[in-house]
Amino acid sequence: MTLDIVTPEKIIFQGDVDEIYVNTADGEIGILPHHINLFTKLIPGELKLKLLGKEQYMAITDGFLEVNNNKVTILTDYAIHAEDIEVEKVMEARKKAEEILKKKESRITKQEFALAEAAFKRAVAELKVANHKHKRPMH
Amino acid sequence: MASTQQLTRRIKTAQNISKTTKAMQMIAASKLKKAQDAALASRPYVEKLFVITGQLTKGIEKALLPVYMKKPKQKGKTLFVVIAPDKGLCGGLVTNLARELLRQSKADDFFLTIGKKIESPVARMTKNIVASFPFGTTSPTYNTIYPITKIIDEQFLSGKVDKVVLLSTHFINMFSQKPTITNLLPITPSEEDTNEKFQFQLFEPDLESILPDLLKRYMRMILFQEILESYLAEQSARMISMQNATNNAKEIIEELKLEYNKTRQAKITSEILDITGGMTATS
Repeated sequence: MTLDIVTPEKIIFQGDVDEIYVNTADGEIGILPHHINLFTKLIPGELKLKLLGKEQYMAITDGFLEVNNNKVTILTDYAIHAEDIEVEKVMEARKKAEEILKKKESRITKQEFALAEAAFKRAVAELKVANHKHKRPMH
Repeated sequence: MASTQQLTRRIKTAQNISKTTKAMQMIAASKLKKAQDAALASRPYVEKLFVITGQLTKGIEKALLPVYMKKPKQKGKTLFVVIAPDKGLCGGLVTNLARELLRQSKADDFFLTIGKKIESPVARMTKNIVASFPFGTTSPTYNTIYPITKIIDEQFLSGKVDKVVLLSTHFINMFSQKPTITNLLPITPSEEDTNEKFQFQLFEPDLESILPDLLKRYMRMILFQEILESYLAEQSARMISMQNATNNAKEIIEELKLEYNKTRQAKITSEILDITGGMTATS
């Protein structure tokens, strides 16, 4: 089956895969060839691909997944390959987000909180994916 | 006639200006290339999103209609989101935008400005400015639109306005850019893409809870597209206006050089006349 991962800024991935594992609003799902046609919402987290026994990891944020006759399309706001993640930068972003989240409720607006929360989730997802980098059998 | 010293000074000034405008023209040209690439790169996402939204919203029951698709009231207020550059020197782009805004808006409408250059024209026009954002001088990234859509969301969902339109400059070709109004909210998915059959057998969790999120992205994407388009228009306008400025500066330099040479020659002639006059007087 084919997989396209598309973000507003560019196409991150395009090609054949054997298995896809991804986090949806209802929990993690795996997609194998000939999956029933599906439309679902994704939550920030890890995306695992398998092709010919090799695994590849990616971090993605909110988005949608569509399965349509063995063609899988993932629309997401942001996606990054495990090997492209800059751990120091992400740590910094997580720290910043954490500081905002720790602030007293009265000193922070709802939007600020929501933005920081989204940034925090994304950072956590990226760090988790980045950990796979070392034990990755690909390349 | 100006003295030669004054003329050399003016020539130097014109040369400096032409150097600056030439550099700005080249910068705009390279940014233009990037802007075109960015606009192209966002297209696959947009197309897919539009097709899906079209399919999912087709034939949806009126009672289930998400709040983003509610039809506006007769006398409702409109929120104008005006997208302009942060920097000037791009011909009549900002003026044209301001003129179009004046023509399209009513006094009691609300405004949100993106870009420093449009802030003061709008502030002179009205007091109902909801928020102002900078546009930035580099290629716009998707991250920058989150806070903007958040404010648009608040205004729309609270019922303060029941229509949101975007006013931005569209890129027609290298030589012309046109201020254009785009409807943002309520969302009306394009009809042409909806001919394909509704082909999803399974929805997780279910259509009603997916749709608001999908429409939110639809809205963000329209905004992002308009911002990219504005950036493209800005760079092309700047490139052309800077090219004209360089040409004008060169023309002025030519004229000044001619005048300089004439003055110089006149001066020499008059000096020679003085000398020969002196010689005939003494002999």
